[in-house]
Order: sequence, then structure tokens, then C-alpha cells
Amino acid sequence: MVIHPDIGSQLVNFCSALLLLTCFAIIAQRRLSACVDLFALQSVFLAVTAALVAFLTGAHHIYIAAALTVVIKAMILPRILKAVIERLNVTRELVLNINIPSSLLVCGALVILAFYITQPIISLGFLLTKDSLAIALAIVLIGFFTMIARKKAVTQVIGFLVIENGLFLGATAAAYGMPLIVELGVFFDVLVAGLIIGIYTHRLQDTFDSVDTTKLTALKE
Amino acid sequence: MSLDLSWIIHWGLFNVVVLYGIGIFLPFAFYRNAHFQNLVAHGAAMAASIVGVVLGLAGLWAPEPVTFSVLSNLPLLTFQVRVDPLASFFVLIISLAGFAVSQFAMGYVREFENRRSIGALGGLYNAFLLSMTLVILADDGFFFLIVWEIMSLVSYFLVVTEHEKPETRYAGFFYLIMTHVGTAFIIVTYLVFYQQAGSFSFEAFRHPAAPLPEGFRTLAFAAALIGFGTKAGIVPLHVWLPYAHPAAPSHVSALMSGVMIKTAIYGLVRVYFDFLGGTFPWWWGFIVLAIGAVSALLGVMYALMEHDLKSLLAYHSVENIGIILMGIGAGMIFQSYGLSNLAALGLLAGLYHTINHAMFKGLLFLGAGSTLYATHTRNMEEYGGLIRKMPWTAFFFLVGAVSISALPPSNGFVSEWLTFQSLFLSFQIPDVLMKIMLPIGAAMLALTGVLALACFAKAFGISFLAMPRSAHAREAQEVPWAMRIGMAEMALFCVVLGLAPMGVVPMIDRVTAPLTGITIAEKIVSEGGFALVPAPDKGFASISTPVLGLLLIVLVPAALLTAVVIGGRLRKRFYKTWGCGINLKPRMEYTATGFTQPIKQVFDMIYRPTVKLETEMLEESRYFAKRMRFETHIEPVFQKYLYDPVVRVLSLLADRLRVVQAGSLHLYLTYIFLTLIILLLWVR
Amino acid sequence: MIESVVITFVQAVVILAVSPFIVGLIRKVKARLQCRQGPGWLQPYYDLVKLFRKDVVASTHTSWIFTASPYIIFASTLAAVLLVPIFLSTVPLNFAGDVITVVYLLALGTFFLILAGLDAGSAFGGMGSSREAIVASLTEPAMILSIFAVGLTAGSTNLSTIVHKTALLQGIVTDPPPHLMALAALFIVTLAETGRVPVDNPATHLELTMIHEAMILEYSGRYLALVEWASAMKLLLFLTLISNIFAPWGIATEPEPVWMIFGVAVWLVKVSGLAVLIGVIESMFAKLRLFRVTDFLGLAFILSLLAIIFFYILRG
Repeated sequence: MVIHPDIGSQLVNFCSALLLLTCFAIIAQRRLSACVDLFALQSVFLAVTAALVAFLTGAHHIYIAAALTVVIKAMILPRILKAVIERLNVTRELVLNINIPSSLLVCGALVILAFYITQPIISLGFLLTKDSLAIALAIVLIGFFTMIARKKAVTQVIGFLVIENGLFLGATAAAYGMPLIVELGVFFDVLVAGLIIGIYTHRLQDTFDSVDTTKLTALKE
Repeated sequence: MSLDLSWIIHWGLFNVVVLYGIGIFLPFAFYRNAHFQNLVAHGAAMAASIVGVVLGLAGLWAPEPVTFSVLSNLPLLTFQVRVDPLASFFVLIISLAGFAVSQFAMGYVREFENRRSIGALGGLYNAFLLSMTLVILADDGFFFLIVWEIMSLVSYFLVVTEHEKPETRYAGFFYLIMTHVGTAFIIVTYLVFYQQAGSFSFEAFRHPAAPLPEGFRTLAFAAALIGFGTKAGIVPLHVWLPYAHPAAPSHVSALMSGVMIKTAIYGLVRVYFDFLGGTFPWWWGFIVLAIGAVSALLGVMYALMEHDLKSLLAYHSVENIGIILMGIGAGMIFQSYGLSNLAALGLLAGLYHTINHAMFKGLLFLGAGSTLYATHTRNMEEYGGLIRKMPWTAFFFLVGAVSISALPPSNGFVSEWLTFQSLFLSFQIPDVLMKIMLPIGAAMLALTGVLALACFAKAFGISFLAMPRSAHAREAQEVPWAMRIGMAEMALFCVVLGLAPMGVVPMIDRVTAPLTGITIAEKIVSEGGFALVPAPDKGFASISTPVLGLLLIVLVPAALLTAVVIGGRLRKRFYKTWGCGINLKPRMEYTATGFTQPIKQVFDMIYRPTVKLETEMLEESRYFAKRMRFETHIEPVFQKYLYDPVVRVLSLLADRLRVVQAGSLHLYLTYIFLTLIILLLWVR
Repeated sequence: MIESVVITFVQAVVILAVSPFIVGLIRKVKARLQCRQGPGWLQPYYDLVKLFRKDVVASTHTSWIFTASPYIIFASTLAAVLLVPIFLSTVPLNFAGDVITVVYLLALGTFFLILAGLDAGSAFGGMGSSREAIVASLTEPAMILSIFAVGLTAGSTNLSTIVHKTALLQGIVTDPPPHLMALAALFIVTLAETGRVPVDNPATHLELTMIHEAMILEYSGRYLALVEWASAMKLLLFLTLISNIFAPWGIATEPEPVWMIFGVAVWLVKVSGLAVLIGVIESMFAKLRLFRVTDFLGLAFILSLLAIIFFYILRG
């Protein structure tokens, strides 16, 4: 079955826009567990986007990546994070370095910046996913910003994972996915990183009785 | 026909000067009778304003600009005036506002009888109006600067009318310094033109012998923006405005806020579209737009925190100048991309808002003057319940509040809507960055508009509604008829400007047509003259305020009818407001500070509020407070981080320079002597 | 001309008649989700009639603003509704105003409602007015921008043109991402402007949390009826905006009676669906603290701005 490339491109754009929307929802969210849920939702959207690209381009290995995304990012990692939250008895509200309206404004500016940077590439591109590249960059930047603007270790994990989602989207968008072996490696890395950060959070809790990363400054002696 | 108009213009020019002249000097002839002085001064001003209206209308419809000059003996100086559509439009604004304000002043200056020389006040008032009119009409750079300076000085004298108050003296001094800084930059602008044109005549500025190099054009652009911007009160040069405008007597405040700052808008349009005409780089328009957007938003935000009614209105002038500049800036951006249709639209929106702001801001200042006259305080927290004591003033103030909040079908709505449309039409610009920036401007305008609504809901609600909050408000009485009629005239102008955009748009189109080289009135006004369609070829949007007005006028009785049909005759009982079982006292009412508290908290990034709460407990129990003292301030960001450092550096430098100021007369004479010698050598 | 007048009149009657039903529907959904039977479908109509027939008790501290406000609020809301396409994609009054006009007509109502809240001098009214002022100042820009983002595709800010073109498959179909963001923003705006959870709770009279109810606390009798009816119309207006801007299919594109009747039926189904959704949301979520509301509304503002940016970016 052949789908008109325009409609295909629209659908990919649509799904990438959903990804970006969840990013904003994460930024606007104050409850930690809701942030984790939103991240899971974002991963589902990412998987859908990847599957769509796989379908449209016939690059079947992307299907595997999509499936792995659902399993690892939408199911396993959120479980781990929720377990961490529950076990550590982290207070449910986030601690903010930058308040929410300003964070939203900054993120809006980041989106414009991402588009501004990728504009020369977009105008040259011919791929049906070319607009998603800008969105991917925006997601990476917002993920980074989340790590800066939120204090708790768990939120920083989420920020890191959001960056990873953005990178994955970028790879899918710019090159119709990376070679399968690279992708598998990345997934393994993410899983391990998730586990390590989980343990690191435990240590943080043990040492400082808190998961506020600003307390790490006390280690400089 | 054309001959007739030219005759009318000459007649108007002559009579305006003569009548204002009478207003300046004749009051002093009756120095014994203050009442008579009042009548003569403001009567002359009213007569001159009527002539000014005629002059403005004639100038707008004259097929060609009319010039008139008196040569002087001094080099470089020609007293040349030129009546073209742009000047005529601003003369019209000054005269319309001047007429209503003079009417108001007849009643208002009685406040100053026995305290001040009414003759001096009236004379200065006339001089102020005359100097503003001449600033607009001047067709020679040197002449312009002279009348501009007179305007500034006369308004300074008017600001310090109540010079026994230290804060008034401070306001006046601040104003004097800022306005002279501004004038210096205007001089720079004109010198840039002069060095290329070889003459101070505006005609030579317009058509210089050799075109200005790019660098000089940019210098002229920047200097004009700072120079005129200081007078207009753009952020961050606005700091003097909220001090100076409220300090003046209210009728003068109305003129300063409503009209005088418009001379700066006139100057900007004159320099950018007339002298520098043609095309500009896109970033000029963008800078004007950005400054406009920031001024609009910060202006309304600071206004919200202001509980001195006149200061609040002064901050709203900053806001509205911002809105005007957004229209003009959008026009400049479009102009630089060669979209003359839209350039004309943006400029038209800006100029429409200019005349609207003159009217509703004038009206609101007159309203504030009336409450000041009746209560002898400017503090809103001491008003309350004035609508029952002063129903007329309250009604007119409400008209002004609805207009400035841009609620349909008022005049403010029409011009803000046009500004919105010119910002939204950015999709015709080829550059993506500008395409995005203009809607962001529109977003800021939308936020500004609704915050203005909140601010005027506060201003009207706290001042006029509920129970009187102080003895001042309890004993207030309605103001004299002269003042009420003055406000009624202003309110009438507001309503007409709102309901008859199909008459106003073609008028302003005559102003923008020579500047943008395109006439758009016929395209914009459609549907048999009832609707405005900014971009007819795109079918983008349309409004029709007459129909909206009609709709509301029909639907209000319809609501009344519905109620009667369903519910029968109205049976109404009166009982006092429920106060949780205790007698309601004015102290329990929401205050202006309380009303704006959520806004302060939400935007605390901008306000940086400081709160001080002192509680003194009873000795017997620490659960009962004897006295509580609450104090809250917002940080004056611009004064603290921009002006204070500059002042500090300046006084440091002045300290260094004290060496030459030894205080010895002989030393000073030596300085003069040396200067003389050097000059003589130079000349040789 | 006569046709236009008739259509406008019919539109007014339809809105007036349906708006209490929507309010009742939301209450019913909430009741069922709480395992209650809930009042009957016609209860809001009974309430309105009862209120119209009751005596009015007005405060001695009030002025004519208090008396005039209900009529002005009612008229301005109804005027705004007449500019919105409901069952016919091109309303006769299309030329009289666009979406900015709709927003500002609603703002006219809000302005007088705020004044009415202050007029009686009670601290509750002042508190409600003060809160309404901040909520309105954050939602209305978002509303203008979100509909403008949609209008860019249609090339117009006139609601009729937007709806008409989308009905002919030129809107959300051609530019999904900006439409999606605009939809999210407009939905948040709807919850805030019509005083629903999580911004305000229409079912509470708890002094410290109420916004809308606090402003109208002093109203009774027919004044209260008019204000309540106006706020029901406002709710219906927002639901209509959402359904007709983003999914207008089924609306009559020509003024043919048959299609218009069909249009009414389809519209009723759509707004009822949205009403059920609101009922579910009200049952699922708790009201936010006032100063958390601003985060929520800030999100709407940013989303609507992003929608515009996206449109330009994707179109290049």
C-alpha cells in the first residue's frame, strides 16, 4: 500500500508535535509521579512515530527499535522510577530552580531557537521527516533545560531520558534510524543509565537524607 | 474649492495665533478679578481651539500642503509653517482635546483662586497650547527646536504650579532634566540632516542635495528615537512621566498626557516616514515595534500597582504610547519589505490610536481631576462610593475606562483591533523571523489589553463603587457644570470615534497616503461603509462597530423584555450587604492593593515586591493583635539599575571637575578671557 | 436581508434554549460518576424560571452598575454568540466581528461582572473580582492567539471563514501540529473562562476558593437568572468554538433548511460529547490553588504561541 507522501509527512509531523507537547506538559507539571507518566506517554508517542516512519519508508529495523522503546522506556523505566519515588518517599512536589511560567517561556524560546538553527537544513532536505528534525532538537534542548531547572535527582533522570527521546527522534527523522546494532546499544545504555541513576539516587538519599542534588555541593571538601 | 481651502488655512493660522496670543496676554489686564481672568484665558483658548479644528480639517482636505513664512533677520532662522495632512491631523487632535479641556478648566481653576495667580496659570496654559500647535506646524528645524523648547519650559512651569510641595519640585526638576536630554538628541537628529542639506528647512531635509549615507541615516534614526522617545515616555526613558504628569493641575495633566506626548509621535512619524522616507532596513521597524511592545506591557503592569489615580493614568500613557508605536513599527517593517498596503495599515492603526488616546486619556484625566476637586486627594484607597455623590463624573469616567480597555464598540477597540490585524497580517512578510515576531508582539498586545481592563476595573470599582472609604469621599460633591460639560465633550468625541470608524479611517488615510504613497481607505471601508476590512484582497477579517453598537443596544432591552416576560413585574427589596453577620464597614472592603495582589504575586519576577508586616500583640495574650502595620513596595527597577548608576557616574565626574570651579571671580574672568582669545584666533 | 435576520434570530433562540441543557448535562454526568441519580434533565430550566419569578433583594450599598450589569453581561454574551457559527458555517453577522471581537465582547461582560462584584462592598465580591481579573488576563490572550493560529490556515480571523474552510477540508487536515497545540490551548482556556475545575469550582460556595460564585454572591432573583444564563451561554459558546473550529464537519455550508436542521443535530451531539468530557474531568481532578492556576494558564498561553510559530516554521 502506498500512502501519499504529503499525508505521511503530515502524520509524522503530527506525532512529533505530540512529543513536543508532552515535553511542555512535563515542564508544566509539579507532581513527580505525573512527570514519570508523561514521560511514558511521550515514549509511546515516540514509538508510534518510529513505527510510522518504518511503515512509510519500509525500513523494517525501525519496527524493532519502536518495540524496544515501548518495552524499555514506556514500561520498564517508568516502573523503576516509580519504585524509586515510592521507596525513597520523595516528596511529591517538584522543587524548582526556575518557576513554571518562566520555564515555559524559556522553552518556547528554545523551540524558536531549535527551528532557527535547523532552518538551513530543513530547507535543503527532501526527507518526509525533515520538520521533525527541528522538533527533535527542541526536545533535546528542553530535556537539557529540565535537568537545569529542576532540583530533584528523579527529575534529572527524566530530563536525561527526554534528551534521549529527542535524540532518538532526531536519528529517525534525519537518517531514517541508525543501524540496528547502534540502536540496541543505545537502549542498553539507557537501561543501564536508568539503573545507575536509580542507585545513585539511593546513595544520595542515604548520605544526605534528601535527593536534592544541590546538596552535592557539600561534597567538594 | 482649493482656493477657498487655502484661504481658510491662512485665516486659521492667523486666528489661532492671535486668539492664543489674546489668551496669553489679556488675562494680565484684569489682574484684580480672578474670575474674569479665568473666563478670558479659557474663553480665548476655546475660541482658538475651534479655529484650530477648522484649520485641521481644512488642512486635511486641502489638495496641496500650504506653506506660510515670515523671514527673520537672524541667520538660519525662518519662521516657516507648513500645513500638510500629517500636521493638520495633529493640529486637529490638539484642538479637539484643547477645546474640551479648556471648557473643563473654566470650572477647575476655581480650585486655585486665592492660592495662585489665575492670570499666570491661564496665560501659561494658552502658551502651552500655542507652542504645541506651532511645534506641529513648524517647517524649519531651528524654528521647531525653539517652539519645542518653549513647549517644554511652559509645561515645566505648569507642572510646578504647586511648587510648595517638595515632591512637585522634584517631579518638575526630573522632567526638566529628562526633557533636555531628549532635546539634545533631537538637535543631533537635525544636525545630521543639516550637514547634508545645508539648511534647516524641512523641505531641504526631505530632499537633501545628496542622499544621506547609511551610517548617518541610522544615526538620525537612533537619535530621533531617543530624543522623541524621551518626550513620548517609551521604556526605559519613561521614568519622569509618572512623576511629572500627575504633579501638574489636572487639566494640564490631561493635555500633557493626552496631547503633548503626541507631539513626539508626530516627530517620529515626520522624521521616519517623511525625512527618511522610502525604505528602511527591517530592523528599524523591529526596534520600534519591540520598544512599543515592552513599553505597552511594562506601562500597564506598573499602572496596576499604582494607587494614586493620576499616576495610574500616567503609566497608562506609557502603555498607550507603546501600542501606538507597535502600529507604527509594524508599518515600518511592512514598508521595508515593500508591502505598502500593510505599511499604510500599520501607520493608520498607530495614528488612529493616537487620536483615540488623546480623547480617552484626556477624559480620564479630567475625571481624575474632578475626583481630586471633590475629595482633595489622589489616593484611590480614600475614595469609594463616589458614583452616588458624583453620578456624572462617574458615568464619564466609565466611558473613558471602557474606551481605554478597548471594549467594543468603543474607539479604543477599533484602533487596537486595527493594530492586531496589522500584526497578524505578518504572514505576507517573506522573512520567517519577522513572520513570527509580529504575532509575538500581538501576544504582548493581547496581554496588555486585558491587564488594562483589570486596571480600569480596579480604578473604577475601587474609586466609584461600594462605600466611601474616608471622610473625604463621604463629603464629596458633584463638580461644577463647566467641568461636567468638558468631560461630556470628551466622552462624545470618544463615542463618535468608536462608532464612526468609516468616517475616521478615510480622514487618517489622507495623512498616511502621502507618507506611504498609497491610499487604502476605499479598500478598507466596505459593506456600504459599515465595516472595516484591513486586507480586502485576502478577506482576512472585518469588524463593524456601528453594527456591534446596534446589536448591544437591541440586546439589552431584549434581556429586559425576557426578564419581564418570564418573571413578570420587578419586585425589589433593599437590604444591606451580607457581612458574615456583622455590620459591614468600609474597612472590610477590598482595597486597591488587595485587588491587585494576585497580579503582583503572579508577575513577581517583574515587580520584585517587598513586604513588611509588623504586628504588635496585646500584652495579655499573644493571640490578639493590638496593631498591625502592613507595607508593600515594588522595586523601581529602571531607577535602581539604570538611572542611579548613571547619576552616580555623573556626580563622580562632576566632583573631579570641581577643580576648575574654585569660586574665585578672577579665575572665572580668566576663563572667559582665554575663551575669547581662542575664539578670535579660531575665526581668523 | 430577511433571511439573515431570521437565521440570526434562530441562532439566538437555539443558544438560549440549549445552554441550560449543557449545564444540566455536566451536572448529570458528575452525579452519575459519583453514583448518584442527580437532578432531572430539566432542572436548570426550572431553576432559571424560578429565579426569574423570585423577588430581587439588592444591597443598599449598590449603585446602578449593580442593576445594569446583568443586562449588559447577558447582552454582550449573546452578541458574542451571534458571531460564532453554530449550525451554519457562515453567520449573517460575520462582517460585524471576528474572533478578537468575540473575545473582547466577552471581556465587556467580564468587566461589568468585576464591577458588579465590587459594587456591593462585600469582601467576597472583591475577592472574586480580583481573582477573575487575573484569570481573565491570562486566558484571553491565549484564546486570541490559539484561534489566530487556526485562522492562519484559513487566512482569516473571521470565525465563519475559518469554520467554512475547515468544513471544506482545508484546516486541521492540512496543518495538524499547529491545530493540535491550538486545541490544547483552547481547551485549557475553556476550562478557565467558564469557571470549571481545575480553575474554579462551579459547585462550591466555600468562601476561600470561589471565583465566579463570589462575584455574583449578592445577586438574586432575575439578576441572578440573567447572570447564570449568560454564563451557561458562555460555556456553550466555548464548546461550540472547540467543536466547530477543529471538527466542523456536519455543519451546513449553505443556508438550506434541511442541512441546517441536520447541522443543529450534529452540533448537539458534538457539544454534548464535550460536556460529558468536562463532567468527567471535573470528577477526576481537584481544583488547583489559585497561584497554581497561573502555571496552568501560562501553559495555554505558551501553547497558543507555539502553535503560531509552528505554522510558520512548517510552512517555511
